Amino acid sequence: MDIDGGVLVADLEAGLGTLSRLEAGPVDAVVVVVEPTAKSIEVATRAIDLAAEQQLGEVIVVVNRVTNEDDEAHVRSALGGREVIAVPDDPEVIAADRAGVGLLDAAPQSPAVAALMTLTDRLAGAAA
Amino acid sequence: MTSATQPVSADDPFEDGVSRRLRIAFVGKGGAGKSSIAGTLARLLAAGGEPVVCLDSDPLPGLATSLGIATSDAGIPDEAVEEAPEGERARYRLATGLTSEAAIRRYADTGPDGVRFLQFGKTRGHVAPLMRSQFAFRHIVADIDDTPWHVIGDLPAGTRQPFFGWAGFAHLVLVVAEPAMSSMLSAKRLARLGEGENAPLVAAIANKTRRDDDADLVSQATGLPVWASAPVDPAVREAEHLGVPIIDHAPDSPTVQALRSLLERLHNEERSSP
Repeated sequence: MDIDGGVLVADLEAGLGTLSRLEAGPVDAVVVVVEPTAKSIEVATRAIDLAAEQQLGEVIVVVNRVTNEDDEAHVRSALGGREVIAVPDDPEVIAADRAGVGLLDAAPQSPAVAALMTLTDRLAGAAA
Repeated sequence: MTSATQPVSADDPFEDGVSRRLRIAFVGKGGAGKSSIAGTLARLLAAGGEPVVCLDSDPLPGLATSLGIATSDAGIPDEAVEEAPEGERARYRLATGLTSEAAIRRYADTGPDGVRFLQFGKTRGHVAPLMRSQFAFRHIVADIDDTPWHVIGDLPAGTRQPFFGWAGFAHLVLVVAEPAMSSMLSAKRLARLGEGENAPLVAAIANKTRRDDDADLVSQATGLPVWASAPVDPAVREAEHLGVPIIDHAPDSPTVQALRSLLERLHNEERSSP
């Protein structure tokens, strides 16, 4: 896909299906979003392993709906000490989802948006 | 998968033909809570002494944890199917002499409260190695109406499997939806499973509700009647964090209570249906 110097962000469907069909090297980074639950960590582990096996690009892990420091530490530990970016469980996200509006439009100063700024910095680094 | 062959309990409620079998498929958007709700409902039903088989057609793990069964990637063994004769639509069919009932007894794991669990296996990438198991799974499910089990099916997130016939066993499809726009939009699409001749009944479960009018919001947005409403529940979060069934972790939690009420309603609906 020719994006002429722009940025392409793809939101893949749940599961590993699309990821398993990507060929090596088409992306700068694979962002794996995980919640601090046993099921989510199990699936994220499979996604991280698959992305590495397929040599798709740098894997960045985002822990979503974090309620406390233990949540973040729990996921980091379960993923072998891997660096993670934590996004807090944010009422503003729930309100935006309920209203069907974008979080950035509804609550640009929210804690979740602030956390995602860290992600954009990391992605910029991955693409450099 | 185990090879458990014990019979359905001696006081099988279906022997006298009085009780009806539940055939329910859970569908919805990812993260809505399908597996937790399906697993908990199945455990409640099984705890009442009823024979229950859970069908897991998601190639990624989830339902087993909600039931209290260790996660395994193993599918149905290759022996369960054989090459179909040329000219048949499917490449594989169940092995000669193997019925759905026998296959469930032979290949479904047994979990807490005696609940049985059948999956076609889990993937760590490509699903091709699971092909024979998938054929076995679909053949078993196709004839599951001839078996004495209550059937609780948990489909993967999204619309793909539901609209490709994977919920075909169900007399009732329960769409799990959060009171969030994306979840409700998916639920509205899934509501179409109830259209057409011989279509199943379709209803919604409003999950993770926060306000008194959230169930109404889900009903209005999806066009579906809401049969149960479960609030945002810290006990569910704790159980999910620990990787244990909510029914074991917090049997009196609001979510389990809501599902007890749902089960009562399901029994009443079945009794009153012609």
